[in-house]
Amino acid sequence: MADRLLTTVSPHLHKKDETIQKAMRNVLLALAPAAIWAVIVFGMNVVYIIAVSMVTAALSELLMRKIMGRKQTLGDLSAMVTALLFAFLLPPTTPLWVVAIGVFIAVALFKELFGGLGKNVFNPAIAARVVLYFLPLAIYGQKFVKPFFWKTSGFFTPVATSVSNGVATFKNLAGGHVDIVAAATPLSLIKNGRLLAPDVITGSTPVAATYVNGAGRPNFVSLFFGLKGGTIGEISVLLLLLGGIFLIYRRTVDWRIPVGIIGTYFVLSLVTWFYPGYALFSGGLWLGAFYMATDWVTSPVTRRGKWIYAVGIGATVFILRFFFSRPEGVALSIFAWNIGALVIDRYIAMPKFGELGVGAFNRLPALPQPAPESYAWRPHFLE
Amino acid sequence: MMAGKTGYKTFKGGIHPPYKKELASAKAIVEAPVPHEVLIPLSQHIGAPNDPLVSQGDRVGLGQKIGASEAFVSAPVHSSVAGTVKEITEVTGFTGAPAKCIVITSDANQPDFERKPGKELDSFSDEELRAIAREAGLVGMGGAAFPTHVKLTPPKDKPVDMVIINAVECEPYLTCDHRTMLERPSDLVQGLKLLLKATGAKKGIIGIEANKMDAVDIMRSAIAGEPDLSVEVMEVKYPEGAEKMLISALTGRKVPPGKLPSEVGCLVQNVGTAVALFEAAAWGKPLYERVLTVTGPGIKEPSNLLARIGTPVSALVEACGGIVGEPARLIVGGPMTGWAQPDDSAPIVKGTSGILALTADVVDVGSEEECVRCGKCVDVCPMFLLPNFIVQAAKNGQWDRAEMWGALDCFECGCCSFTCPAYIPHVDYVREAKAGIAAAKRG
Repeated sequence: MADRLLTTVSPHLHKKDETIQKAMRNVLLALAPAAIWAVIVFGMNVVYIIAVSMVTAALSELLMRKIMGRKQTLGDLSAMVTALLFAFLLPPTTPLWVVAIGVFIAVALFKELFGGLGKNVFNPAIAARVVLYFLPLAIYGQKFVKPFFWKTSGFFTPVATSVSNGVATFKNLAGGHVDIVAAATPLSLIKNGRLLAPDVITGSTPVAATYVNGAGRPNFVSLFFGLKGGTIGEISVLLLLLGGIFLIYRRTVDWRIPVGIIGTYFVLSLVTWFYPGYALFSGGLWLGAFYMATDWVTSPVTRRGKWIYAVGIGATVFILRFFFSRPEGVALSIFAWNIGALVIDRYIAMPKFGELGVGAFNRLPALPQPAPESYAWRPHFLE
Repeated sequence: MMAGKTGYKTFKGGIHPPYKKELASAKAIVEAPVPHEVLIPLSQHIGAPNDPLVSQGDRVGLGQKIGASEAFVSAPVHSSVAGTVKEITEVTGFTGAPAKCIVITSDANQPDFERKPGKELDSFSDEELRAIAREAGLVGMGGAAFPTHVKLTPPKDKPVDMVIINAVECEPYLTCDHRTMLERPSDLVQGLKLLLKATGAKKGIIGIEANKMDAVDIMRSAIAGEPDLSVEVMEVKYPEGAEKMLISALTGRKVPPGKLPSEVGCLVQNVGTAVALFEAAAWGKPLYERVLTVTGPGIKEPSNLLARIGTPVSALVEACGGIVGEPARLIVGGPMTGWAQPDDSAPIVKGTSGILALTADVVDVGSEEECVRCGKCVDVCPMFLLPNFIVQAAKNGQWDRAEMWGALDCFECGCCSFTCPAYIPHVDYVREAKAGIAAAKRG
């Protein structure tokens, strides 16, 4: 008997089903309905993009871990979550090579180079998307097509944005020009001050009438159910919400973050009467609030920290939209507050049990006397 | 004072482990056979170590004092058998640290303990009660093993107005306090009244978790007609039996970090300790035996045993029909805070509340991953610490940071590790940090 006994440290019990892998699986499950809906609305293009994203993510992680001599962790599914979330941030006609470059940036640079899952400072999917905005590739990610564009191009036909002389058009795999209409998103309409202009909204798409009401406005029902132009993941607020509730129910996601982000944004848009309805049901706000900002690694660990972080993101998104009408406002806000999360955790004090008269901020002790072997935030490649 | 989801009193944070108390909760307490040899550690308490009062070859009687110290914070030990001192030697204790033990070979015929007729229970003064507690070697029997007479001597400027009997038994599997309440309710009430007497407190509360409603009913009828005593039902949550959590749940008073319950006018004693105080005062019986639970899926017949201090784990497991299946862990204590044993040779002490044999399907063995900063450890920490940052600081050897994040306030309940998706053994790192902080302070 004695040779099989292990003298591990207490506790000797562990919560059932509480593993990283199962949490990641929950996220994938929660995102599945929105992904399926995207396939229905945008055709097989979505499947191609997600497939390329996942395969590239897996290969990137394998390669980087091999190079750096770390143990392989594909089994924790975090690379798959990053791949799916990154695909969700892209327009449905993004060329597959752009997808591959983007997801390599996400997994290889923003996750593995920082030291792998747990050490990354930024949400990899968000960070890669932000980097794409500032690369010459940005123009590939700016064309949004109308829902059900595949009715003119074919369900299975890959259609990708193609750029020549600075003008983006759509082409199929054979290089032939595809005549499908680019659509404005509700947010871009706001930017142009033409929210109600019928010429932008209506077009030759067969289903235009289902998401535009008589006056040419995108109606709330279509916004809510996802019959609109946009990135792959952001179109259906309803399905994102259902997935988000599932994640909160499974305790994978802390409800404070989505509630804080969306609540802050809604309150600010109400106060300024800045299209409170439209803005709330459009854009990546829901995707960001439920799935991106709640990333364990890059959000604060304390409850009060989570509130600060969430309110900060909500307010930043609002500022970016109100003043700049930036469609990438959500990604940029989360990107910025990922750094904020580290600062919040270190400096916002959390009083211990029974502790009175604690200041609002932690005073960190001076840097340790013997130089430490490593810091939590220090990327591994510096070692 | 905070009402939980069930409407019963509780605290903030904590977890809901699988309790598995049904394995042993219906088993009446039985006397364990007297082993042919007991190994009585000289020091079974927190405080100054004892010196042996006997030497090799001496005859010792049942309940004879065999180890004591002059220091105030200490508790003497007594022989749990009648027999002959075989040797005084170092053996590996249940924590893995070497402990000096008096090994006694027990006689073939063991005498019964002779109760000494004492005074009327009401006539004891607080001084006398403290002397009795000390003479009987009483320590906290919930596991911490803090000398009882020290607890009964609160600082002059901090009078105790409330005595709380810790009948929560929040550790999964363990049922010894539960059985004691069912079988000896009036002795427990007598013990509580003695504690009130010794501290001058007015109010006595017995806190019981809602998964022991039969004990609640019995204790309620046992305190009938005592206006100063009450029984409180508490929400089932771990670690509710931790002193600070218990006080907070029952009274709303918060013991500040680094302070003792007397800071907020409370005294907390375990069920076993209260009964032992009654036995010591009424019968003159020193603490040489205790009730403990031998249970777990790896034990053939889970039982509650009245066992002699110093009995080796192997003898108690044997008394319960031995091991079935393939145990993955043999634990002294509960599954959340107990000590996993490399073998079954360690002797039980005054603070041992259970012996567990857990099989591989119960013990969830995961490999330690990088922290993913999910914050679940922060959410469950009943002391509101940041366990993941303590771990990080301990890994980096940054002891001042470990202290800032609260390593010294951690009482190692293990909620963080229980809920950690990355299977990080926080308690291990916290112990390392505590040692590191102490070493850094020594210079």
